[in-house]
Amino acid sequence: MSKAPQLSMNGLSVRFSGRTSDALRDLTTCIEPGSTTAITGPSGCGKTTLLRTLAGFIPSMIHAEVSGEVRVDERSFAALDLSALSQRVGLVQQDPDAQVCTLRVRSEVGFGPENLCLPYHEVTTRISESMAAVGIEHLAGRDTTTLSGGEKQRLAVASILAMGPEVILLDEPTAHLDPAGAMDLFVLLRKLQERSGCSLVIAEHRLTPIESLNPSLWVLDRGALVSRDEDRTHADARTLAQPRSADRLVAAHPTQDIIRVQRLGFGYRERLFDGLTLDIEPGTILGVIGPNGTGKTTFLRLLAGLEKPEAGEIHKPPTSRTGMVFQHPHQQLFERTVRRDLEIEGPLEAQALKDLLASARLDGLGDAPPYLLSLGEQRRLTVLSTLRQHPQLLLLDEPFIGQDRGNVSWIVSQILEAKNRGAAVCLVTHDIPMASALCDRILYLEDEPLIGTPEGVFQKLRLRGQRAFTPEYWEQP
Amino acid sequence: MNARMDPSMTERGLHRVLPGTGLALLLSLVFAVLGSRSLVVGMGAFGLVTALAFWSGQSPWGWFRSLRYVLFFALFLFLAQVLSIQSGRAVFRIWRTVTTGGLHAGATMALRFLTILSSSFLYVTTTDPDRLANTLIRWGIPYRYGYTFILALRFVPFFRKELRTVREAQQLRGMRVSVRSPRRLLRALEFVFVPVLVSGLVRVDTIAMSMKGRAFGLHPRRTLPPKQAMTREDVAIWCCVIGRLAITLLARRIGWT
Repeated sequence: MSKAPQLSMNGLSVRFSGRTSDALRDLTTCIEPGSTTAITGPSGCGKTTLLRTLAGFIPSMIHAEVSGEVRVDERSFAALDLSALSQRVGLVQQDPDAQVCTLRVRSEVGFGPENLCLPYHEVTTRISESMAAVGIEHLAGRDTTTLSGGEKQRLAVASILAMGPEVILLDEPTAHLDPAGAMDLFVLLRKLQERSGCSLVIAEHRLTPIESLNPSLWVLDRGALVSRDEDRTHADARTLAQPRSADRLVAAHPTQDIIRVQRLGFGYRERLFDGLTLDIEPGTILGVIGPNGTGKTTFLRLLAGLEKPEAGEIHKPPTSRTGMVFQHPHQQLFERTVRRDLEIEGPLEAQALKDLLASARLDGLGDAPPYLLSLGEQRRLTVLSTLRQHPQLLLLDEPFIGQDRGNVSWIVSQILEAKNRGAAVCLVTHDIPMASALCDRILYLEDEPLIGTPEGVFQKLRLRGQRAFTPEYWEQP
Repeated sequence: MNARMDPSMTERGLHRVLPGTGLALLLSLVFAVLGSRSLVVGMGAFGLVTALAFWSGQSPWGWFRSLRYVLFFALFLFLAQVLSIQSGRAVFRIWRTVTTGGLHAGATMALRFLTILSSSFLYVTTTDPDRLANTLIRWGIPYRYGYTFILALRFVPFFRKELRTVREAQQLRGMRVSVRSPRRLLRALEFVFVPVLVSGLVRVDTIAMSMKGRAFGLHPRRTLPPKQAMTREDVAIWCCVIGRLAITLLARRIGWT
């Protein structure tokens, strides 16, 4: 690989059609060759827009008014075709599953080099090298639809590597990875950079794992670059969103309200649970953590009654109502307006609706179509509509993915409110510090599941050498 | 229908033949049942497709389970023909007279339907989509169209999964989807399909960026892997296909159809 280019922006502003404010405002900065840059900031601050502009997708594929200039070395982006630019700058998008174009791992990695019309032997060399670089050689013949989240993320990186770019842009690359997978990805990126000298630009809410790459830090707010490198300790979007220890108090509840999981057995192709037994008490929060593919979401589905146990039983109080917040908010938004979506559970008085929307910072959006809301707004709406059912069992599947500090704090407050109301809460998360601070009990799913208090489970994980699943790993730079 | 067969079976039977050979076999079977009204030909063709499915690693239960909706619809076609065609000799009477003409037409129609659907299903499940796309590109079809086929297949499991998740989300919110009146049916469709459609559109955008960001369309051609050699299975199938074609042409020539 040749020396990485300098990417520079001069007065870059982007405004999407139909919007009154700029998504990016007057950015003038540059990315030095071979450097690592971490971009952070609240949801909607322009991280993804900046990466898509640097990759050339804006304005060539996503229509927007762009003013100012982006240059790669001394050449303006305006003079480069998107496909030609792809050989210099590659973007790994946020959802690894959504960017897979083909049905086999090997053909996915070879897709880019084949489009470049390279000789076949060079295509095969690039495929082998890229797969080896991310450690997925053993998956070469696999169907892409059968890969786990972590495997898909590695595949997405390998397919960009095969293009031989000098600058790699990564949009929240750890969002769908378990803590060990996230740790592995950054180790991999560091090795890659040492070997090839490429520049890395990473948009992330959580900065702690990126610290090992010693990045320059850019903080964006409402499209503007508000700080560089200073104030690092407070830039991590999650660190301030911890609950108070007083929220750990657990009230006594009648034993008939306890949800009992007894000798649970279930699996798809492979056995996920074999004799799992635990109680979930009302007014408590059970955190479910563990590597990708160990059955965390399946556990929630079993509790919700969406799957039937193959062995054992799940006892729930007969009148128990279950509410579930799905991983992707758009999957549970059905109505034409926010108001109608909130009224599925029953009509609301005008003032009650106004208060409800204000409580979730959705003021004035009652008549807006849910699909046009931002991801953070959609997430708040799904939490709100789920809590409108007053569930006695509240299930949340990765509710913090892609959420900034403000949204995380709001979701935490809603979880604590449900708990204090006496609901049993079951929270699946990869956010280990959050699970440690928020949950009364932790279920760690792997071959040998662990169940107990957060302190007890994390102590056992330390002894097992699973450092990435302990809170201190994510709290210390 | 299940989209794929057991991956452990991918080295058996039709999995080993070239996409062009499989396509020739598929077309040969389709033309055989369309060109003949003989029940023997219809049953023979469907029997051959079933035998090929077992040879390719399908279990009898898996095969008939995959085709259960096709079998049901074939039965419906058979009954519709039996009850509507009144030519030929009367055999028995239910509330309409069942005739030999109706039975023959129904059986022919059902066997044609079964053979065409099952052979197409067998072809899709035993043919590697990438290899098929490469074959189509070699035959001169622009690669953009070849990849449209792959993308269409890529979206099948996605839509199936999204549809299931959306229905489960509705179930958990206590939403009962009723289809008792046209208005309710429209609402039910809106509730189910709008979220799935929105997800699909978002994904189409992401995939389009992913493809363009990897130089899709940069050149009029793209690198293709070297041509694969024919296997014994390929040779045997081509001999059968050409032989069948020759016999058909000869039979027409001498006036025996």
